[in-house]
Amino acid sequence: MKKKIVIGWLLVPVTLVVSLFLVIPLVYMLLSSFKQDGTQAWTINNYLQAVSNPYYYQAFFNSGWIALVSSLVGILLASLFCQALLQLPDKLQEKLTLFSNLAANFAGVPLAFGFIILFGNAGIFKLIFPEWLQFDLYSWKGLVLTYVYFQIPLATLFLYPVLKKVQKNWQESAELLGASNFYYIRKVVFPYVLPAMSGTFAILFANGMGTYETAYALVGSNINLITTRIGALVAGDVYAKPNVGSALAVLFALSMILVIALSQKFMTQMRRVTE
Amino acid sequence: MKPLVTPKKKWPYVVVIAICLFYITPLLMTGLYAFSESWGKTVLPDKLTIHWFVVLFKDPYFLQAVLRSFMLSIGMLVVILALMIPSVFLLFLYFPKLDKAVQSLTMMPYAIPGVILVTALLKTYSKSAIPMLVVLGGALFISCLPVMYMSIRNSLIAVNTKELMEAGAMLGAHPFSIIVKVILPNLRIGIVLSSLMVFSGLFGEYVLTNLLVGGRFETLRIYMLRRMNENGHLASSVIVIYFIVLMLVGLGINYLSHKQKSKSSISTNKMKLNNKKRKQSVKESPLIPFSDQLKEGI
Repeated sequence: MKKKIVIGWLLVPVTLVVSLFLVIPLVYMLLSSFKQDGTQAWTINNYLQAVSNPYYYQAFFNSGWIALVSSLVGILLASLFCQALLQLPDKLQEKLTLFSNLAANFAGVPLAFGFIILFGNAGIFKLIFPEWLQFDLYSWKGLVLTYVYFQIPLATLFLYPVLKKVQKNWQESAELLGASNFYYIRKVVFPYVLPAMSGTFAILFANGMGTYETAYALVGSNINLITTRIGALVAGDVYAKPNVGSALAVLFALSMILVIALSQKFMTQMRRVTE
Repeated sequence: MKPLVTPKKKWPYVVVIAICLFYITPLLMTGLYAFSESWGKTVLPDKLTIHWFVVLFKDPYFLQAVLRSFMLSIGMLVVILALMIPSVFLLFLYFPKLDKAVQSLTMMPYAIPGVILVTALLKTYSKSAIPMLVVLGGALFISCLPVMYMSIRNSLIAVNTKELMEAGAMLGAHPFSIIVKVILPNLRIGIVLSSLMVFSGLFGEYVLTNLLVGGRFETLRIYMLRRMNENGHLASSVIVIYFIVLMLVGLGINYLSHKQKSKSSISTNKMKLNNKKRKQSVKESPLIPFSDQLKEGI
């Protein structure tokens, strides 16, 4: 027990940083969300606005929808990518994961810029394939396509080490015991990777919801998204309402915590079923 | 019954090539844009030039921005690694209940967009004695927390840390020597990958840096955005250089990790000094080097 206390002291630096730069500012934000902009009087008016003004609640739905679609597509393509990678020679695998991680940093304004050159109104891809002319990069579909670009490497980072651990000899053993390929995937691989999958999905979803820079560079305020909406309220030029922004941010944070909590509950339930 | 050695399949190559094409095309196009004099409604640019790069390298603000970005990213990476690796390790091994709680806490930066973290931080610290650069450091630390925590923890799980610790303890090894000689070498790839991710994230950070310190500390990314509003070609040449830097850093880290790997395989497999055999030892199941190191540790 004494040893544990000694070890516990080693955690103090991280705890300090987290409380100074995350917990305390968050409490501050929570408090200011209950204050009227301007007068600073206590009120719940900010929250009433957030749920009654379609301008605000639609931002939630738009962001949620884009995050959902881009995470689903991202996780699907990343699993496929990891599975394919694992079939390749080890050296090639290492090189490609490195490449994938480098690509993950092509986000924000550079990514938007790259996609505008490709799929913008006079995009090269559209000039080569005229049937793509219908595709509007500055719509939710364009945002999904752009988001998927950074969702795949992010999902790969988390899924690849787990999928790598699904060993070939498991499949061999399953085959020797007479299991079909589908049965093996359903009963061995799927339960094994499911916790990692749902955790990764939660991260991708939150990442999609929280994306500000890419969305801002691509569609500005043409698509009403929660991040750009909060950004405009908090750091906006003319109609800045930082406390309404704080209220939206609190609701946003709560909905994200709900997503993550649900995914963790789902994970523990699945573990109980499989054990 | 199917043969145990399955024949070579083609689909993995198709999938990998397709996804790599998706990765590389926007990059390639940005690169081409940087080298083109003008580019209207044609498939290929009119004329190629290096004019934009010449302009860039003559700009002292550009060179300063590169230097600042480097100092900030490397400094923060060192701090993050030094604080995070021991903490995640200790939580994972000795405080499983706390570890579970922290797992949801590290997801919190995802639930808070950078803009909000910035506003909260500005409200809290803008009038305090703490310099904004320190606040920026804290904000960057928080923003890197989820990726760092999750990837270190995932690699801890992937190398069976708990089992290795138990096995080592049963054989009478001191926990410290198990950590140094068995766990850390096996975590290397995971740590290198997450460092890469975190460094590049720091190097390319925009929202926090811009809103907290802004023009007072112009990093490469802030410079890039300032240039983007002026000239697309110039901006894409900054992007090209930014990517070359990231690529070099990535390859450098990769090279170092390989060097380390071959060093440890020389010291543990003294019998396998010739090149051909060393190649084989790399391909072996990772469990064999583990057990070699364990023996040396005891």
